[in-house]
Amino acid sequence: MSELFDQFLIESRELLDSVGSGLLLLEKNLDDKAAVNELFRAFHTLKGATALFDWPAFTHLVHAAEDLLSVVRSGDVAATPDLIDRLFAVADQSSRWVDHIEAHQELPADAGEHARRLEERLRAAPETAAVSGTALPDAFAWLTDLTREEREALRGAGGTLTAVAYDPDPECFFNGDDPLALCRRIPHLVLLRIETASPLPDLTSLDPYRCLLRFRAISAAPQGDVVPVFRTAPDQVRFAPVPPDLAGAPQPAIPKPAPVAGAAEMAEEILREQRRILALDAAPEELEGRLASVARSAANVLTALGRDGDVAALQAAAASARAVRRPGPLANHLATLLASVATEATEAKLAEPEGRAARRALRIEPERVDRLLALVGELTVAKNRLPSLARMAEADRVLARTLREVSDTIDRLSDELQNAVLRLRMLPLAMTLQPLPRLVRDLSQRLAKRVELHVTGERTEADKDVLDVLGEPLIHLVRNAVDHGIETPERRLAAGKPEAGTIRIDAHQDKDSVVIEVADDGAGIDAGAVRRKAVESGVIDAARAAHMSDAEALSLVFLPGVSTARAVTDLSGRGVGMDAVRTAVEQAGGRIEIASEPGRGTCVRLILPLTMVITPVMVVEAADGLFGIPTGAVAEVAKVPSTDIRRVKHAESVVLRDQLIPVFRLRRLLGLPDGGGGEAQATVLVLRLGREPVGLVVDAIRERLDAVLKPLSGVLATLRGYAGTAELGDGRLLPVINLRELL
Amino acid sequence: MPIRFEDATVRFEGACGVEEALPLSDWLLAREDARVDLGACTELHTAVLQVLMAAKRPVTVAPTDPFLALRVMPVLNPSPRSGRGGI
Repeated sequence: MSELFDQFLIESRELLDSVGSGLLLLEKNLDDKAAVNELFRAFHTLKGATALFDWPAFTHLVHAAEDLLSVVRSGDVAATPDLIDRLFAVADQSSRWVDHIEAHQELPADAGEHARRLEERLRAAPETAAVSGTALPDAFAWLTDLTREEREALRGAGGTLTAVAYDPDPECFFNGDDPLALCRRIPHLVLLRIETASPLPDLTSLDPYRCLLRFRAISAAPQGDVVPVFRTAPDQVRFAPVPPDLAGAPQPAIPKPAPVAGAAEMAEEILREQRRILALDAAPEELEGRLASVARSAANVLTALGRDGDVAALQAAAASARAVRRPGPLANHLATLLASVATEATEAKLAEPEGRAARRALRIEPERVDRLLALVGELTVAKNRLPSLARMAEADRVLARTLREVSDTIDRLSDELQNAVLRLRMLPLAMTLQPLPRLVRDLSQRLAKRVELHVTGERTEADKDVLDVLGEPLIHLVRNAVDHGIETPERRLAAGKPEAGTIRIDAHQDKDSVVIEVADDGAGIDAGAVRRKAVESGVIDAARAAHMSDAEALSLVFLPGVSTARAVTDLSGRGVGMDAVRTAVEQAGGRIEIASEPGRGTCVRLILPLTMVITPVMVVEAADGLFGIPTGAVAEVAKVPSTDIRRVKHAESVVLRDQLIPVFRLRRLLGLPDGGGGEAQATVLVLRLGREPVGLVVDAIRERLDAVLKPLSGVLATLRGYAGTAELGDGRLLPVINLRELL
Repeated sequence: MPIRFEDATVRFEGACGVEEALPLSDWLLAREDARVDLGACTELHTAVLQVLMAAKRPVTVAPTDPFLALRVMPVLNPSPRSGRGGI
């Protein structure tokens, strides 16, 4: 059951994602039929998924959304921004529930209340949005209270069912209309209800020339075939497809949203489990309860699959099992159901569009991939020992040569293996970019701005960890762009710009990096203002600020405490935003750049490694210990005469190529004993962490290593000076230094 | 004439149009013990149907026309023939 549960979490979140993007598409183009279909499909599938568990509030709410979309799909109700808002509310509530369910395995206690309120909102929606301006759901409310016989009639009819609500104009007889004659002409009439709009008066007071009757009908013909019948009274009649679960039978003819592979697969699993339960030995007194619970679960599955029609047969089987006091009849029935559901699951899988199938085919737990990667890392470490073995075998030239050959082969293979595993962890950026359109929509509404978001390169791939890191910074950047970048429509018009601002997000791969640009055509950032603010908040002194180029000054916004926002809004501009972005990006081994032109807009570039898992490390020595320094930070390695390192009070510095560089000693930073100081030469690593280079004196440099960094765990995790450990070829652990923390 | 009044029985034949509604209504008001014979009726105008529904007189002969028998009779004979039987 737990796998099923996990599957539900993944699946429902995917579905809600596609609901989100579908709604945004629909909002752009209210006539977007494809978006409506996709939304309908998503809600329908979600309904099926929730129905597998016992969360009636969830199922009902999603069902209500599905119903609304089905009338939008039939064209009876127009999509409106208001309607989209309501559906967004459903999606948001569903997301919250999924989160809650993940944490607590059940819906929150107030779920029923929330569901009811949202359902009311959904029902209210079509009234304001109905194409014909009449209350459509009311006209079709009768569909939900069909009698048993009527349901059976529908079930027998099968196929597409069209409901007709015909309220003839009371004066229609004078136009020569005969409503009953029209109803007679409805093709494939399955059901006709002749009703009185209000109780018929006594014959004495009845005006026979006023039509007081109304008609409710269901036809087994598609709507397109029914509509022409009412050519003469188009304003008095409404049509709607009959929801599949009312018909009580699967509907092969309507553009078929189900079966969906996930739902059918889950159903198969549940049915299999029920059959297993039945097969277990049970004491006679337990049998009854067990039969009932199995029948109930199986019935839920059938309902979820839209096969309500099969429930009666199931219950009959359960009844005969109860009668003979043996599970046999029910077990046999389950076997039959299982076979048909399994076929459905396979068919659904085959019917999946190709790209989707490829992405869905393998859903691997990230932990498993990580384990694989750790193994590859260890293989790499073991492999690194081979060259030294070959050197040791130098005496035997044949052996040494063979060892080298084998070493080369293993080298190549482990490289390929590593690449292959890293590829497994690569995911398209689309998922990370996915929340942004919604963010822009909501923010711009709140700020009364008009903003268009263009996203390109969603298919660019990057390591899962990189993507995880990227999410927050991107949200920050986009928020900033809407809040501070894009001007109000009035101001834009005054500046001769189009009323709607544009934010472009482009992602692409550049060699070993993934580059994401967030550009807006808003007000831009005034480099002078940034300078002033930086000086005011004491980040730099006025003299240095004056010497900075505009480009350099702009990147000051990434420093803590520098924000150019004029007003502190609740959105951003608390002076922590850009700093947080920079920190997150740098922690992922990336960097950030900014360019801006006042009046023209701002562009922020995030450059991140495609993968953050393999870290090139330089192994250095200090006081007989070995330490790793991430190679990425090392700009150059210099040997300088010890005497060149000057000491002024406690600070040391060295002049390299006419530049004064502050120098730190690794021994001192780590609290290790100072050396004798007798060395003639010092090894200085020139590090580039911020804008200013920094020198780091080490005893010696040993080797370079492609390390798989493992984070420190347990008590060690609190040591902030270290980024993690890597394993050396001889099995020793190498602490890798977190330079930013240490310096 | 598609509607014929014979003693206490009103007999419908063929297609009964809107023009029958008023005479039918008048006749039904005059005869409390009226009975309705729809056996040969093939079409019933909505207006006529409405009068029959308001009058609530028993239909002694059900129509043979399938549409009328299946779809319209239920509103004219609220207690279904197959129902509790008996008198």
